[in-house]
Amino acid sequence: MIHQVTNPIGVMALAKREIHRFFSVANQTIFPPLVSSALFMYIFGIAVGSRVNFSAMGLTYLQFIIPGLMAMHLISSAYENTSSSLFIGRWHNHIQEILLAPLSYIEMVLGLLAGGVARGMLVCLGIWLVSLFFTPGSIIHPLALIYFMLMITVIFSCAGMMGALWAEDFGMLSMWNTYVIIPLALLGGVFHPISLLLPGLQIISHFNPLYYMVSGIRYSMTNVTDTPVATCAIVSLGMAAAVFTATVYLFKIGYKLRT
Amino acid sequence: MRDSELAISIRALTKFYNNLQALDKIAFEVKRGDFFAFLGPNGAGKTTTINVLTGLSNYQSGEVKVFGYDVTAEYLHSRRLIGLCAQESNFDPFLSIYQLLVYQAEYFGIPPWEAKRRANELLERFGLEEKRNAKHRALSGGMKKRLLLCRALIHDPEILILDEPTSGCDLELKFLIWDYLLQLNKEGKTIFLTTHYMEEAEKLCKTIGIINNGKIVRIGDKKQILQDKSLQDVFLEITGIE
Repeated sequence: MIHQVTNPIGVMALAKREIHRFFSVANQTIFPPLVSSALFMYIFGIAVGSRVNFSAMGLTYLQFIIPGLMAMHLISSAYENTSSSLFIGRWHNHIQEILLAPLSYIEMVLGLLAGGVARGMLVCLGIWLVSLFFTPGSIIHPLALIYFMLMITVIFSCAGMMGALWAEDFGMLSMWNTYVIIPLALLGGVFHPISLLLPGLQIISHFNPLYYMVSGIRYSMTNVTDTPVATCAIVSLGMAAAVFTATVYLFKIGYKLRT
Repeated sequence: MRDSELAISIRALTKFYNNLQALDKIAFEVKRGDFFAFLGPNGAGKTTTINVLTGLSNYQSGEVKVFGYDVTAEYLHSRRLIGLCAQESNFDPFLSIYQLLVYQAEYFGIPPWEAKRRANELLERFGLEEKRNAKHRALSGGMKKRLLLCRALIHDPEILILDEPTSGCDLELKFLIWDYLLQLNKEGKTIFLTTHYMEEAEKLCKTIGIINNGKIVRIGDKKQILQDKSLQDVFLEITGIE
């Protein structure tokens, strides 16, 4: 029963509501990552980056960090969207509107997921457009970019839902993002190539799943990668399948949703 | 919908909250088209029973069916048939009341054009038309009660479950809700009502069930249960409240 998709209108409504929600607070959801990315591009990409010798990779430092910033905000936007939406739903108890509806558990997850995917992709597109003010840019592998954007937003939208179910207060809600996700994204090569690290740290970085996602976005944008893109694609797909299944399972058992 | 003469069928339903037993093998039936009052003191198990029926609570053992559909194994069918008017207002703070109703209808698979038509109709019926673009926080307590009722009715459910629908309402609103519920029941809807107002249950309902400490202590036709006594006296006698 949990695998049924029988109510497409219901799923679409939930997806529309999620998108409506983040647009209605665009000053908190859409514009801040664009502003912070523009500052990163100016300070690190232009002011500092012009003094960094990156010629061995065939890119300027600015061109190197733009995909990293896109990946970082894909991750945080997707996570924040589903985690805040579901947690506020639990907090205000209007999650009951969904739980009472004839939506299968997979449909509930898909509907909520759609908001995280849409917000992540919109922010990512915005950052790319902002980057065009600083440097001419093209997307070398657009289909690969769509693939990695989709995988990343699915993974972190599901992670956001799991975080929202686990959290008992707003402090716990932001804990995963602050102490786990953002540090792993930064250590995954947003601002630096892994090859610049000491050999031991390079090995540790390969156990960081976010490294493969950042690398996948960078390959899609610039054709530059320090790990095989197939590995990035497989790791991302595997993680997406695992967290999606886990999230649907939590909805099925009603973890902190049903008394 | 299955051709079931029973709107609700509950057998040996047991529910624990950790070590606390909320429902102790309760069993009862509600016939299609009935107006059923489910009464009991605070903490007796009324809301828990409602939560099990609507899928908001898990349960440990027993069988719970709505119009013949098991609420766990066939929840996609059973939920289509139920409209729940919750005890307290729990609305999405990001939406206007019109949007709330339209989305709620669409969650039930109702196409957007029909969802909008129904939302308009209900807002007009319950005097909320002027507030259609307001958020629920801008509504008075009585208006929130009306909105809860609108949301429960938006998908035209076969059974309406009402958890203390008139608590905190003024007399005018109480009478409006009573009239509407009687009209709905006359049109064939099954109504399952919990209330602490005995005169409400006595006036509206055909069948009465009383739960106390997680057990059904009396159930039957209103006339049989009352036998020339007031419902309040019967209730106090059965529950042992002094």
